[in-house]
Amino acid sequence: MNRRITFIQAVREAFQEEMRRDERVFVMGQDVQAGIFATTSKLVDEFGPARVINTPICESASVGAAVGAAMTGLRPVVQIMFGDFNYLAMEMTANQAGQWHYISDGALKVPMVIETPSGARGGAGYGHSQSLEAAFILPPGLKVAVPATPYDAKGLLKSAIRDDNPVLFFEHRRLLPQRGEVPEEEYLIPLGQADIKRVGSDVTLVAVSVTVHKALAAAEKLSQRGIEVEVIDPRTLVPLDKDTIFQSLQKTYHLVVVEEGRKRGGFGAELAAIAVEEWFDYLDAPVQRLGTISAALPYSPVLEAACIPSEEDIVQAVLRSLGQEE
Amino acid sequence: MQLEDDKRKELYRKMVTVRLLEKRVEQLVTAARIPCSGHFGLGQEAVGVGICGPLRYSDYIFGTHRGFAEYIGKGLTPREILSEYYGKATSLSRGRLGQHLLKPEIGIMPLPSSLGSEFGMAVGTALSTKLRGSDQVTVNLFGEGTAGQADFGPSLEMASLWQLPLVFVCNNNQYVELAHYRNVVATEDIAPRAGAYGIPYEIVDGNDIALVYGATAEAVSRARQGEGPMFLEFKTYRRCTHYTGDPGGYQPQEEIEIWVQKDPIDRCRATMMAEGMWTEADEQAMLASIADEIEAAVKFAEESPYPDPATIYEHIYA
Ligand SMILES: Cc1ncc(C[n+]2csc(CCOP(=O)(O)OP(=O)(O)O)c2C)c(N)n1
Ligand SMILES: [Mg+2]
Repeated sequence: MNRRITFIQAVREAFQEEMRRDERVFVMGQDVQAGIFATTSKLVDEFGPARVINTPICESASVGAAVGAAMTGLRPVVQIMFGDFNYLAMEMTANQAGQWHYISDGALKVPMVIETPSGARGGAGYGHSQSLEAAFILPPGLKVAVPATPYDAKGLLKSAIRDDNPVLFFEHRRLLPQRGEVPEEEYLIPLGQADIKRVGSDVTLVAVSVTVHKALAAAEKLSQRGIEVEVIDPRTLVPLDKDTIFQSLQKTYHLVVVEEGRKRGGFGAELAAIAVEEWFDYLDAPVQRLGTISAALPYSPVLEAACIPSEEDIVQAVLRSLGQEE
Repeated sequence: MQLEDDKRKELYRKMVTVRLLEKRVEQLVTAARIPCSGHFGLGQEAVGVGICGPLRYSDYIFGTHRGFAEYIGKGLTPREILSEYYGKATSLSRGRLGQHLLKPEIGIMPLPSSLGSEFGMAVGTALSTKLRGSDQVTVNLFGEGTAGQADFGPSLEMASLWQLPLVFVCNNNQYVELAHYRNVVATEDIAPRAGAYGIPYEIVDGNDIALVYGATAEAVSRARQGEGPMFLEFKTYRRCTHYTGDPGGYQPQEEIEIWVQKDPIDRCRATMMAEGMWTEADEQAMLASIADEIEAAVKFAEESPYPDPATIYEHIYA
């Protein structure tokens, strides 16, 4: 029997189930006991302050502490309150967490998760609005989860906690209050398995995180004009489920990719490069990429909206791909 | 350093402006007229206003996210603040900054979204004034929670090592978001940490505008004369919740009551009245004039247009 719960509740359930299942799992971060965005609230009542730890305001040392704990047998989840603040901890994440397993020739493992609410939502300004998931494609050794629904969030977070590698888990702030179907029974979603969110035959539209919903809305509009778009949610950027995307492309021969992260050097750039490198024979048109402009995100919601890809931008990109520009 | 009568009246008016403006902005955020959330500093107005008292326009200040005290203190107007918060084309940044209030012309330097990212920049402005041979002073204001940030120690080190004209000001309002500060801060006082780097420090009642002014004036004048950095910690209390989206409930009512008794505005008014420099008539006239100023600012912001989306491509590079 399926229930409809919020993204927040789905994440909290993943925490509860994994913390009950494995006493090595613990949560740390600023105000995680109260749960500033509620994903961790009430966990302290069940698991106590030794496993739900409020940290001082220092992202770098908090992630560093998680790395140390992970290397010595625990499974920390460290919350970084806003995705933007991951840059403060970049040294620990990119240079340390992601690399010790490899350079120790497997002697060390760093099983940890960075849970990080992020993204643009109108009126939060330049340093509380960025979607930075693509910044974690570049450093080696990290996995990157970008769930778009409560169902995906729960299943991916459970897998992330059980994974033996450092996983970045991005939660778009606009998605946090949204509801979706989540079964009562336990389930896991493997990292590296894309989900076809809408079946179509004309264009393959790969959409990341919050843009999945914009892509679905755009696909609905295009369908009314007789264009059938296949919307693929990669769900994790690393590892990337190339097979699912390639299978779709073999049907559509047209690729469009959209993300809220910046277009320059973003996930779309990586995917377009893969397409040109590996799937060249299956491209009937140039790959269309959509992403945020390479500027600081302005505060005023009218300006912010102009910087990030909209539903209409997606419609236009699909039409461009098909040579039906308006 | 003594707080002269005129200065006291000026600072008093600024504190009241801050309090009334914050109240008004809170209403506007709640009514969704303003798109951001608001962080206010009810009860701690004397710190931000008082530390700006001895500053010149040319001195630099790095302020905080909490309320308007240091911004009004340094000379920003309600109209400038509101047009920024509304995200309107008439704001100084044409809608780009929002809560990150800025006005370099009067020494209001960047308010970073990331707490603690001002520490390094404040070292930099102080270093710059020293290298340029100017007598400007930099003030770096931050919360007791922010003192945990990674660059805190290194900034003290550099300021001390290079004897920079930098005044560190810790606004200890006893809360770090939804937790009492001792939940995430290891020591009751922050200031003694400066001593470990060879920086003189002082811990002062942050709810007494004269003491805040006096301590800052000393530190600023030392810095201006090339005698190096100083660290001030002002003890105060945040009587409101962390931000507009925080329902509160975690601050004990008795604790709040104690601090209501120590309200900096009430104390300043009582002193001025006791000294015969302020009357009930003065009070009423001032309140009316501040209310007019704020309502005119609201009207201005409400009626201003939103920025043109085409402007997003301007100033991407200098
Ligand atoms: C790097 C960074 N981490 C976390 C936050 C979120 N945050 C905003 S205000 C705040 C609490 C700050 O406490 P304190 O320094 O005591 O200042 P106060 O709010 O009490 O004035 C936190 C953690 C942030 N803005 N920047
Ligand atoms: Mg504080």
